[in-house]
Amino acid sequence: MSIADTYRIITVLLTLISLMSRQELIGPQGLRQDGRRANELRKIKCKPSVLSQADGSAYIEQGNTKCLAAVYGPRETRQKAQVIHNKANINVEISLAPFSMPQERKKRSKSDRRLLEIASAVKQTFEPIIMTSLFARSQIDIYLQILQFDGGTIQICINAATLALIDAGIPMQEYVCACSAGCHENHILLDLNNTEEMADTPELTVALLPKSGKFTLLQMDSRLHVDKLEPVMNLAALGCKEIYETLDETVRENVKDLFQKSSPY
Amino acid sequence: MKPTKSTERTRLKVVLPGDTVSLEVTTPGITLGPGLIQAGEFITCTKAGVLVCSGSTYWIETDQKRYIPETGEHVVGRISGKGGEFYRVDVGSAHQAILPFLAFENATKKNRPNFNIGDLIYARVSLANKDMDPELQCFNPTNNKAEGFGKLEGGMVLKCSLRYCQRLLTQETDICKLLGQKLQFELSIGMNGRVWLSSDTIKHISLVYNALKQAETLNNNECKTLVSKLVV
Amino acid sequence: MVKELELSTNERELIISGLKEGIRLDGRGIDDFRSLKITLGPEYGRSEVKLGATKVLAKVSCEVARPYPERPNEGILTLNTELSPMAFTGLEPGRPSEEEVLVSRILEKAIKINRAVDVEGLCIVANELAWSIHVDVHFLDNDGNIIDAACIAAIAALSHFRRPDVTVIGEDVTIVFFIISNSKHPVDQRNPVPLSIHHTPICVTFAFFENGDLWVVDPSLKEEQIRRGDMIMAINNHKEICVLSKAGGIPLEMHTIIQCSKLAANKVDWVRERIQAALVNAAEVEKR
Repeated sequence: MSIADTYRIITVLLTLISLMSRQELIGPQGLRQDGRRANELRKIKCKPSVLSQADGSAYIEQGNTKCLAAVYGPRETRQKAQVIHNKANINVEISLAPFSMPQERKKRSKSDRRLLEIASAVKQTFEPIIMTSLFARSQIDIYLQILQFDGGTIQICINAATLALIDAGIPMQEYVCACSAGCHENHILLDLNNTEEMADTPELTVALLPKSGKFTLLQMDSRLHVDKLEPVMNLAALGCKEIYETLDETVRENVKDLFQKSSPY
Repeated sequence: MKPTKSTERTRLKVVLPGDTVSLEVTTPGITLGPGLIQAGEFITCTKAGVLVCSGSTYWIETDQKRYIPETGEHVVGRISGKGGEFYRVDVGSAHQAILPFLAFENATKKNRPNFNIGDLIYARVSLANKDMDPELQCFNPTNNKAEGFGKLEGGMVLKCSLRYCQRLLTQETDICKLLGQKLQFELSIGMNGRVWLSSDTIKHISLVYNALKQAETLNNNECKTLVSKLVV
Repeated sequence: MVKELELSTNERELIISGLKEGIRLDGRGIDDFRSLKITLGPEYGRSEVKLGATKVLAKVSCEVARPYPERPNEGILTLNTELSPMAFTGLEPGRPSEEEVLVSRILEKAIKINRAVDVEGLCIVANELAWSIHVDVHFLDNDGNIIDAACIAAIAALSHFRRPDVTVIGEDVTIVFFIISNSKHPVDQRNPVPLSIHHTPICVTFAFFENGDLWVVDPSLKEEQIRRGDMIMAINNHKEICVLSKAGGIPLEMHTIIQCSKLAANKVDWVRERIQAALVNAAEVEKR
């Protein structure tokens, strides 16, 4: 077979795949468009301490979604009105880079309600987890920047913030890990990407405390039958635990690395 | 202090802001209370309500909710902050009141009260002046005794109109008497539209709270039906 | 949080210890809504909802507009929720408060993103003319749980609303426009048309206290001030969860969440009956 023939076959196959994927989120072999199985996570890459100025920072990739987090604090509050007399005030800002969406280049203002809503959710997720009562009258700032967007904004924001907070050495009760799961024609899918999100799949994002198994955040905005809630939540919780293992491994590696470097021997 | 204890009080008429009251400015010993001002040779009203007179003192009773501190009045307040020498207290007025650490029975520089933010106190307004933050004290200045002033433990606070506080205090409404026949409870009535109440169980506290809340707009007969309905 | 509104320690402790015994300050059970009163009319699409002392007014209005170029076959549905300082003492002027963002997003997710209203049916001429429906929700008095009240008000107003009928003659846009503006079908000549509504999502708010074991439905303002987390569920008439929002707050066990979802499904039916009764009532008043 000549190279031209091979090339032709590949082109045909690719067209077939793209045709198939346009209609079906799950192919005949039970594989999703990006080749994952239903209960498979996207590939996670993460790295703590990536910035020099911030007190703590982290970079994380989940598939094609990429996020950078920086944590400052506990530091003096910027506005006097934000002082809370017995605990620290947490402030979260999220921005979506104008080049983050492949289809449209659109600058989203900081007062975009969707981003504000996610920021408020991230803030409230960490409020009971961070031991804020240790830092009365101070402020902890979490800045999140989405560099590339392919679905799962809330989950990546929470995962990145967790890593950055750990890197900043801010005392927390536990890790928080977030993951999404959805339901498509009786298949329960884990960790949806943008195409799957856009296909009107009910998507539930969950933030879990992996050790105690409690849920801090649940977000869903499309129709899912009451009886389906439990299995979807279960799968999302499994995903969270898997993410936790990856994050935990990275943090341990990083800490070990630091200690080896600073050890006098 | 407001003439709450005076025996005879006559409600004269309903007045509206801007109404001129047919009173002679030159009446000997005339005193104008809240809601009345002297404009030249006339006396005019500034609030809508009922003109009341007691002796030669005249004032207007209104359904005001916002408290304006007056020296000598008793208030229920919430500790909202701590300064070097004083607590800040929220009494519902435009400005936070000041409660100096020394304004307590037997207080000295070393022996100071220990309150936390959020605690409720019962105090007396010792200084009220429109150009200064109001000041409170937790003792009776005539005999330097605490006399029930100080921290309020447990219980619940009802916010109501200033007028209702007065009615409760002067027993103008029978609700306290009626409730008292059925169960035991404790009240500290602040003139700032806050009534602290407590009883033996939570059920009773919530009952008293709801009875007092609903009785604000009821007359004595209606209070009777309310109490018999609430307390079985 | 405004300093003026903060609760004292005494009040906090009383409410919490009351909840532990299953007593709420206003005498209802932990899974009870406050008294719900829905008034519809006199005009089409106007609803006033009283949930205890919380008061919300919703008004639906319509106009003819050009559809969005990316959705040429659809009408436009706009939800407008503005929190005024009339009911919210703590509002900072300028940027939207966290509360406002939450209310507007929940309503938008429940009604717009879940396509509760059939927007395709609002198109008159593709790419040219379509109905633009505005839902204005006003908060008049805030005694807690404005989200549920706003959702009930919006759904009731949309169900009650009637738009003028339209006839399209030929494809000439101007003709259509002429007919509408000249009122060839004034409302009394031809019956106005109700919106076609696919499903009716209703919100139920839960508030959680202490370590998450204590919870209530339909929190009052005092309860909202001491809650440590909340969860909002919007469920429609097909028992589908349209919105689930637990934006952080105290962590919960799985079984609590499942239990809440089952309870919410029942509560929603109760609310829907109230809306139905109000609609029937309004129709009778109109007949007279």
